Amino acid sequence: MNRFKHADPTLRGSGRFAPRATIGLMTWILIAVGIVLVLLVLAVVLFNRMVRLRNEVDTGWSNIDVQLKRRNDLIPNLVEAVKGYAAHERGVFEEVTNARAAMAQASTPGQAGAADSLLGMALGKLFAVAEAYPDLKASTNFLQLQSDLTDTEDKIAAARRYYNATVLGYNNAIQTFPALLFAGASGFRAREFFAADQGDRAPVAVSF
Amino acid sequence: MTLQQQIRSNRMRTAFVVVAFAVLIAVFAAASAVFMGRAGAIGLLAFGLAYGLFAWWNAGRMIGTLTHAHPLAKSDDPELYRLVENVSIAAGLPATPPIYLVDDPAPNAFAAGSRPSTVYVGVTTGLRKLMPPRELEAVLAHEIAHIRNRDVRLMTLAAVLVGVIAMISDFAFRMAFFSGRGSRDRNPVQLIAAVVALVLAPIAAMMLHMALSRRREFLADASAAAILNDPEAMALALRRLQLDTSEVAYADRATAHLFIESPTRSVKGPGAFLSGLFQTHPPLEDRIAALEEAGGFRLEALPA
Repeated sequence: MNRFKHADPTLRGSGRFAPRATIGLMTWILIAVGIVLVLLVLAVVLFNRMVRLRNEVDTGWSNIDVQLKRRNDLIPNLVEAVKGYAAHERGVFEEVTNARAAMAQASTPGQAGAADSLLGMALGKLFAVAEAYPDLKASTNFLQLQSDLTDTEDKIAAARRYYNATVLGYNNAIQTFPALLFAGASGFRAREFFAADQGDRAPVAVSF
Repeated sequence: MTLQQQIRSNRMRTAFVVVAFAVLIAVFAAASAVFMGRAGAIGLLAFGLAYGLFAWWNAGRMIGTLTHAHPLAKSDDPELYRLVENVSIAAGLPATPPIYLVDDPAPNAFAAGSRPSTVYVGVTTGLRKLMPPRELEAVLAHEIAHIRNRDVRLMTLAAVLVGVIAMISDFAFRMAFFSGRGSRDRNPVQLIAAVVALVLAPIAAMMLHMALSRRREFLADASAAAILNDPEAMALALRRLQLDTSEVAYADRATAHLFIESPTRSVKGPGAFLSGLFQTHPPLEDRIAALEEAGGFRLEALPA
């Protein structure tokens, strides 16, 4: 902007006294400087937008992570509760424990999504086993754990919806023109979605 | 139009409305300067600003008092709190807003508060009883969407601005009638223009405010549908509200725009056009139709 201030009086001066060729040159230089400035401002705006969207994705993922940890803490208690009534169902317990370990080791959203569906199936079997034991189903401890688990599952689903929406926004932002020209070079990589279970409703494109 | 475009165009409108309010206040200041001189007009504006800031700061509490809402503890209704928590997570809010309960049989809900620390969701006991969980969640998502889209903040700001303009107008009128000093030697055209401005400004402010509120209802419906990934639930909830014709007892012009559906009944017949200008909410049929179009489904027709 400073350059404009300096250049302005020069332009007016040369308009009055200098030959035409000089005016043309000055004008061209000013236009070039103006274009460069506009491009610079545009780049800064785009860059800041991508950073903001990437931060949103990170926040979205940490929201999911909080709920996944909470569920991983609940599972051993749940397994213990069922074991107290059905100690011989070793296969199911092992499956749940393995799936839980895989979940804890998953480092990317894609891996977490795969581990999540395995864990979901294993937990399904655990609850199917529990169905066969009326005393277990009636125990307050088990009912409390079951309700906590359902609540956590709902919250994981909610956090996943938000996370996937932020990933969509971020990926769209870095993969569209003109951001795609320099997004890769400045370290903006596309993020993975956190896959939904089969039971989830397909995403609805809401538009008017 | 996608949701993102809708949000963007809504932001533009918001900016437009704020500028329009600024222009209104400037017109106002000029009009009152005719009666009171420059010093009087500046004093009036300063007083209006102080009043506005005070109202802004206490808006959440004032609205709570006006609507007779009281805070609900999590242990009193864990199921409702779970729904609000889930919706807040899905909407990406940093924290779950507290719930306030309004003891009223008419089903309705609102969100209020000027700052993130004071914002809350108000629910009537009628809504809690009437709505099945899926639709209750949609209503809560609508309110959370208002909070996330910064509607609540803007609506509170608009309400405060309308209040400030109404108050300044009232004040300027009194000054004009009780102190005739200086007004006799002024140009009569200027004087008439000033009076017209003083009369029209509060009405214009009110209409702007209402128009703002009506647009935002469509956006909040669409946002709620996106948050839950379930436009049908939102439409079903609106249908249920449509079928219920009871009114909220402690709701009036000052708080009507905050609710999910108009808490006072709309006028039918000869006065309908005039009341249409001042309606805070678009007709529920229009909102349901917008959701049906967006989600690609049809609710069953109402039995006539």
